[in-house]
Amino acid sequence: MTEWITLTVNGVRRSVPCAAKESLLEILRDALDLTGTKEGCGHGACGSCTVVVNGEAVKACTVRGKEKLEGIEVLTVEGLADPEGNLHPIQEAFLRAGAVQCGFCTPGFIMRLYALFRNQPEATEDEIRAALSENLCRCTGYEAIGEAALLAQKLLMGTRVT
Amino acid sequence: MEFQYVGKNFERTDGYAKVTGAAQYVADLKLPRMLHVRILRPEYAHARIQSIDTSEAERSEGVVKIVTGKDYPILFAAAGFYDQSPLAVDKVRHSGEAVAAVIADTLEHATKALSKIKVTYEPLPVLLDPVEAARNKEVLIHERLGEYRHFGSYFPEPGTNIFHHYRLRKGDIEAGFKEAEVSVEGEFEFSLSAHSALEPHGAICRWEGKDRVEIWASTQAPFAVQQTVADMFGLPHAHVRVRVLYLGGGFGGKSDVTIEPMVACVARAVPGCAVRYICSRKEVMTSTVLGRGMKARAKLGARKDGTFTAFQAELYFSDGAYGDAAANIVTVAGHNCVGPYAIEHCHVDSYGVYTNTPPVGAYRGYGHPEGCFLSERLVDMMARKLSLSPLDLRRKNFLSEGKKNSLGETIRDHNGDLFKCLQNVEKELFTRPKPKEDERYLYGRGVASMMKSPKGAPNASSCCQIKFCSDGSVHVNLGGIEMGQGAQQAMRQIAAEALRLPLDRVSVFREVDTQHSPWEWQTVASMFTYRGGNAILKTAEKAIRVLKENAATVLRVLADDLDYDGESVFLKTDPDRKVAVKDLARGYMYENGLTVGEVAESTAGDRIPGYVEPDPKFGMGTAGGTWTFGCQGCELRVDRKTGEVIIDQFISSFDVGRVISPQMIRGQIVGGVVMGIGQTLKEKIEFSEEGKITNATWGRYKMPRIHDTPKKQTVIFVETPEKRGPFGARCVAEHPMVAVAPTILNALYDATGHDFFRLPVLPKDLLEALS
Repeated sequence: MTEWITLTVNGVRRSVPCAAKESLLEILRDALDLTGTKEGCGHGACGSCTVVVNGEAVKACTVRGKEKLEGIEVLTVEGLADPEGNLHPIQEAFLRAGAVQCGFCTPGFIMRLYALFRNQPEATEDEIRAALSENLCRCTGYEAIGEAALLAQKLLMGTRVT
Repeated sequence: MEFQYVGKNFERTDGYAKVTGAAQYVADLKLPRMLHVRILRPEYAHARIQSIDTSEAERSEGVVKIVTGKDYPILFAAAGFYDQSPLAVDKVRHSGEAVAAVIADTLEHATKALSKIKVTYEPLPVLLDPVEAARNKEVLIHERLGEYRHFGSYFPEPGTNIFHHYRLRKGDIEAGFKEAEVSVEGEFEFSLSAHSALEPHGAICRWEGKDRVEIWASTQAPFAVQQTVADMFGLPHAHVRVRVLYLGGGFGGKSDVTIEPMVACVARAVPGCAVRYICSRKEVMTSTVLGRGMKARAKLGARKDGTFTAFQAELYFSDGAYGDAAANIVTVAGHNCVGPYAIEHCHVDSYGVYTNTPPVGAYRGYGHPEGCFLSERLVDMMARKLSLSPLDLRRKNFLSEGKKNSLGETIRDHNGDLFKCLQNVEKELFTRPKPKEDERYLYGRGVASMMKSPKGAPNASSCCQIKFCSDGSVHVNLGGIEMGQGAQQAMRQIAAEALRLPLDRVSVFREVDTQHSPWEWQTVASMFTYRGGNAILKTAEKAIRVLKENAATVLRVLADDLDYDGESVFLKTDPDRKVAVKDLARGYMYENGLTVGEVAESTAGDRIPGYVEPDPKFGMGTAGGTWTFGCQGCELRVDRKTGEVIIDQFISSFDVGRVISPQMIRGQIVGGVVMGIGQTLKEKIEFSEEGKITNATWGRYKMPRIHDTPKKQTVIFVETPEKRGPFGARCVAEHPMVAVAPTILNALYDATGHDFFRLPVLPKDLLEALS
């Protein structure tokens, strides 16, 4: 059965049809054309579909059904840069550290870190690595992603200070 | 030579699109009149199809059409071995095969109809083990093997399950072992594994009538897809257009033609509609290609002074249901398992064997990791037997100036320096004392050496097109696929260097489209920087020549007396006499409009010269062409209680000729090492007795995550310029994965005193060895 749900995506209220078992990932990609959120495995193992829901990192392919979707506030990778297209410090850090290769896992890692630093700006290196271990990357060997995370944290703290 | 762009780091051309989610991969594309496909997979891994009844499914809601193999009894090949149909015709040979395709308005409707298709099968015995399958003449996976069309470089054995037998016969093996005073041998096993690029395979296909077709595909080889699909339908190749958007990783898994022929057949049933098929993760693992899968026996002979005299091996590859994608890997593993050593007498039999698993295809390293596993383990065992240092034993036998490899090719100094690579690893690994074993951990160190040469079609080329715009900025267009490795950025740096232009005046290609892109054989074998880079240098020279000819007319001098600096063309002896490049780009226009000269556009290509298929009798010849040499080493700990392996340091040193981008090349090495760690300590495709993959999800198939990586990776480059390489650069991309397994296994011996011969080595194997 298809019902209508309302959710806020990247600051905009949207009403979309939602079939009973439809996932947030399907809604973002198919109904809202937000294809920056990727499907790598479809069952919550790879984290390529990580988005921020009500301030927490969530694998969008695992969130299904009207009950879980109604009224939520979602931030996707498309909502991260400012309206002029200037990159968010985490995005900037990924480029500077060379943490982007094929790019398919990149939005998921970036959103994972966004939620982490939003809730724990001073997360320790171990906490950062624990968060990153939720996501899979097959290209980089994770070294540059780890470096990007530390750089992003510095940039974010810096912006806070100045 | 002073470089402006080569050897420095710049932001990737595709970086902004990838961090903002703007980069579009095939699954992100929506087209008008788009229909969706789901595929019915068989209940058996080996069975005859008795009947398929689609009548009820056809009436199911939203179903537009159902296609089965009977509609397309075609045999196709991308690598010259015609043994595969787009959908199963009368038989299924592995459990991931396509039996029927449902085209519907939505995926959900297609899925619902799947269960309404009724298929009856006559089950057949299932063969999973390559040695067993090679000997079994009762159960034939392809009864008509003898009738298949194939290139002359493949040697099938009809009446068996062996679809290709590569033989290397160098020197006299009996004499070699007679000369040997000691020998070591082993039996080896390399599991099947999954490439697991993060982006699943997908294709969207739209026919214009029956004679022209467009395919958007997740492929490293759009021109191979073009040719394969065109030949399937007897169309002119030029009428098939293949487009590649962003590609989310490949590792070889997207270089073989896999789902595209099936999607092309399915879409042909609904001309005018765009038919979209994206693999589920499970389907990527069951229904595209897998990698590796080898059982082997190998023996090395040496004199007491350590000189290797003989190498003998027998390799059996469990290549799955179809051989087209695997046949060349069988050959390459065969002549490379000898390792980077000069050995006079070599005797290798390498068999490609049909089994009831998904087909095997190219996977980062292409037969080299399998081969290197044999030689590098044996060399360490030999060092122990002779009480020599494993490093010195390698040095004694390394390929170097004037020595011949297994194919009989002579290695030259400019091909690279193994000694320096090994020295770099040695310095990093052995200058401090090894930690002493403690209550919890055993410590070990190991090294391995490697070489890799590309395997390609002898005519494999990269081509380039350069166009000057009317403001003097430049388009550089090639057909190589950017799949994460940084190909576009490397090309941009090489082009800026060659054209003496600021980087921001050079725009490189993004998408590849067989209709507009210059021809590229395939983006495989780590060849693109080398071959594409050379193509740019040649093309740039031609384009600059056009500018000079144009300027020569205007300045009334000879073109040879002119020079070019990116901004203008000027007289060498009087630089003030000059014409701006922007005024020469489209010919030179005088004030009255009269235009002279040519448009500054040019094309050129590059291939490895003199490359041939191995000789059918001896398996030798110039089939290597160019090599990259390297050594790796590691220090690790084994947890006595859990059997867990912790890698404290992993060192890689490759002779890459010239570093084009330090950041991107490090990314290749570090990422390749971690992938290698996965295949050594974690990854294995598991089958039930009936031939079903039991771990075809990423929940069950374990790949390295951030906590599985080495505590420290050290990467040291040697830069011995390659005579033919662009600015001296050599191939590197697959290489970091080639020697990881023997490096770790040699270190595991050092830690535990136990020789491992089977990959992966899991914690339970270590616990068993320790008990």
